Amino acid sequence: MTAAPEGPDNSPWPEVVVADLYKGFGRHRVLTGVHLEVPAGSFISVLGPSGSGKTTLLRVLAGFERPDRGTVAIGGRTVDDGRNHVPAEQRRIGYVSQEGSLFPHLTVGANVAFGLPRRQRQRQVGDLLDAVGLSGLAGRYPHQLSGGQQQRVALARALAVKPRVVLLDEPFASLDAHLRATVRADVHSVLRAAGTTTVLVTHDQDEALSLSDQVAVIRNGTIAQLGPPQDIYADPVDSELACFVGDANLVEGVFDGTFVATALGRFQVSANLGEATPGPVTVLVRPEQVQVQAEARSGGDGTGVAAQVISTAFYGHDSIVRLAPVAGAQAPIVARLLGQVRLVAGSEVRLTARGPVKIWPVRIWPVTASAGKDRPAKDGPAKDVPAKDVPVPADRGDGAVLPR
Amino acid sequence: MTSETRPDGAGGAADEVVTTSRSARPWSLLVMSAAVAAVLLAPLAFLVLEAHGAGAATIGRLIWRPLTATLLWNTVRLTVVVTVLCVVIGTLAAWCVERTDLPGRHVWAVLVVVPFAIPDFVVSFGWASLSTWVEGFRGAVLVMTLAVYPLVYLPVAASLRSADPALEEIARSLGVSRARTFVRVTLGQARGAILGGCVLVALVILAEYGAFEILGYQTFTTEIFTEYGVSFDVPAACSLSLVLVVLGIVVLGGEGFARGKGRPVRTGPLAQRALARHHLGRAKLPVLAGFVALVGLALGVPVGASVYWVLEGGAHVVAGVPMVSAGWHTALYSGCAAALATLMALPVALLAVRHKGRAGHLLERSSYLVLAMPGVVIALALSYFAEHYLDGFGYQSAPLLVVAYSILFFPLALVGVRASVAYAPVALEEMARSLGQRPWAVLARVTLPLVGPGLAASFCLVFLAAVTELTATLVLVPTGVQTLATQFWAYQQNLSYGQAAPFALVIIAIAAAPSYVLGRYFDRLPGRATRPV
Repeated sequence: MTAAPEGPDNSPWPEVVVADLYKGFGRHRVLTGVHLEVPAGSFISVLGPSGSGKTTLLRVLAGFERPDRGTVAIGGRTVDDGRNHVPAEQRRIGYVSQEGSLFPHLTVGANVAFGLPRRQRQRQVGDLLDAVGLSGLAGRYPHQLSGGQQQRVALARALAVKPRVVLLDEPFASLDAHLRATVRADVHSVLRAAGTTTVLVTHDQDEALSLSDQVAVIRNGTIAQLGPPQDIYADPVDSELACFVGDANLVEGVFDGTFVATALGRFQVSANLGEATPGPVTVLVRPEQVQVQAEARSGGDGTGVAAQVISTAFYGHDSIVRLAPVAGAQAPIVARLLGQVRLVAGSEVRLTARGPVKIWPVRIWPVTASAGKDRPAKDGPAKDVPAKDVPVPADRGDGAVLPR
Repeated sequence: MTSETRPDGAGGAADEVVTTSRSARPWSLLVMSAAVAAVLLAPLAFLVLEAHGAGAATIGRLIWRPLTATLLWNTVRLTVVVTVLCVVIGTLAAWCVERTDLPGRHVWAVLVVVPFAIPDFVVSFGWASLSTWVEGFRGAVLVMTLAVYPLVYLPVAASLRSADPALEEIARSLGVSRARTFVRVTLGQARGAILGGCVLVALVILAEYGAFEILGYQTFTTEIFTEYGVSFDVPAACSLSLVLVVLGIVVLGGEGFARGKGRPVRTGPLAQRALARHHLGRAKLPVLAGFVALVGLALGVPVGASVYWVLEGGAHVVAGVPMVSAGWHTALYSGCAAALATLMALPVALLAVRHKGRAGHLLERSSYLVLAMPGVVIALALSYFAEHYLDGFGYQSAPLLVVAYSILFFPLALVGVRASVAYAPVALEEMARSLGQRPWAVLARVTLPLVGPGLAASFCLVFLAAVTELTATLVLVPTGVQTLATQFWAYQQNLSYGQAAPFALVIIAIAAAPSYVLGRYFDRLPGRATRPV
């Protein structure tokens, strides 16, 4: 196998290259022109709501589905170009599915050794199980393991064959909330230690933002934005994407070329202006940028805009305060405040915010369907329900402050 | 056991866990399934050809004669009475075993089912050889009820075992009395199982020949046999077959109509608490007496009568050579049929489980039409075809008998194969491919180990059913060859009870023990796979 032709010497060449990929099932078009490059050794997340085509993309990479059009190259070798199709067993990929898909008739050891030549089995199985923290369980059967253990075995089995790319298909989605965080961290460190190129498919933004070097947000069958997690969060390409990745307050503002004026104050704008030109713009203010001051204490200060508290929810490490919409906002303003907040519904407060903020040229954004709904309990079962359709501003509340 | 012939029965629970492949249309599977469906429906096509050959006017005249009305009355009243009795006995027995503190219920659970393994014609022989009172309608009701009530017992017991106890508790909490809860919730949940059992009972009665022949009770099946086998009156046999098949289709269709649309739904995980058992209290002794009577009549009489005739017959019954020869041929034909039926079921099951599509569904459904075709009809249609279109080639040859068995017991094979295919989800095969295994290695290391036990069970089910088959065997068995069933029949017809009895005992022994083991196997199936797979 040769290095990919474009790979410059100083930066790692792409291990996976997807170009112009189309795939449909019957009349239903799932992937409509996907482009994606995954640098060798990096961890990339494909983030999207259910039905966005992310799992189909992964299955095409794995060789389980044949694309209608477009090319897929793994490790510099074209494995799909519309005519030729390299079957899954010749792609050197590791695949971990949502359910783990352990072979129920084989022990843990035999599962891990499944892809290994006979001679190497004994020696390597122990090492691999050590690596995922399951030493001594080789003799168990899959149904004797917990969900988290099953996923670790599935990972060890995938890594056993020394894959060029590890493909993770929502591997943490079926785990309990408290288990999910630890398994996620363990899997991440195992993959880092192995130095494998990894593609993770998920609808969980926490997962995507906290684990990845790069996040690719997939929407309606194409990649809507690709970049480091920080950029995806702070510099989303449009308001829909901003609402999907984290909580978002969208307010109207007027941009003068340097600053933007809104009901919440006058802010610096983020470096990437995109198509924004002086004039009316849509402004993204993340909940943690909003500051709340009790009316009485601010006294004659007079800064900020008056607002009324609708509800507060306390989460220990932070609180979410929902406030009646201010001028130029169509939905309640959401503020995330560190620590305890002693505000009751109906309190009069003043709002300010910290810049810089992200702006886009004005366009009519969808009316917030979830306005007024309470924030789902953190790490609660709400995470497992299929993500809402993209246009719904994410009132999921688990975006910015990453639970550790 | 044969309760599994229910088309959408026991195996169904496993279907939901299977991920459906979304790959393109599986043409090869479709073609193979279509070929299987063609074989299955061939007897029906031959029957229509046969009727066409005889001419519509002749067939019409043969159907509209008093004999048909008599047969219809005989068949329908027997079917209705036996079905009702079976529902009462089967449901009550199932409820007592599964939901009460009946003493020794583990033993009863086995003993109550064993009679089903005894062929109806052996039960009939046992009763009729002991008393002349057992004949005609009353004899048929007695014998058939005792022989086939397990067809209701088995699905109802399975349904009661897997029913959600929380539903009964909720009904009680809503202020519904204990008795009304039993009727509205407990029986309500078992309704599908009861209906399925009724259909099987009705189909068995429509198809039965041997038992009625012994009892001197005339139904469509016995009359078709006489018209064809004795008078060689093909148009008459054909016209009666048409009516019989229509009756079978009515029974099948009626079940679909009565089943309704309700499906059990559960939001939580599948783990459920153990069921609280009802205390029988003072009813304990009467219930026990009832079980003793039921098992005594259904199991004790046929076995006892056979043993009695063996002892009565003395030394001259030891007929080693015919027994060995008959046993060998029985095993040969049944083994081939079991292998063929399992093989035929494989593409249809794969299509149904892995590619949920309209074509696959239609093909699977069409195979259920076989249930409406009694053995005698299939056998006559095949032999007619061999005589008229193959110039006698294959008529009364072993291959034709094997094909007839495979068609007859295809639904049995399909249920088992379908359930076992569901335990090898596509996701596991994909996983094996991604680990670098070539397709044949995937087959050997993943698919076969997972599917194998279920395929073996299907094979055994068909094998056992073929061993105890009499009607089609009598028509199609190669000249000069005897199987266990036909040899028994020949002796029995000569009233040589002493010589027939050892064959009856051998058939019982072959059928009963493995049936019990298989029954346990299928009971365990739903819980076998690790969840989530």
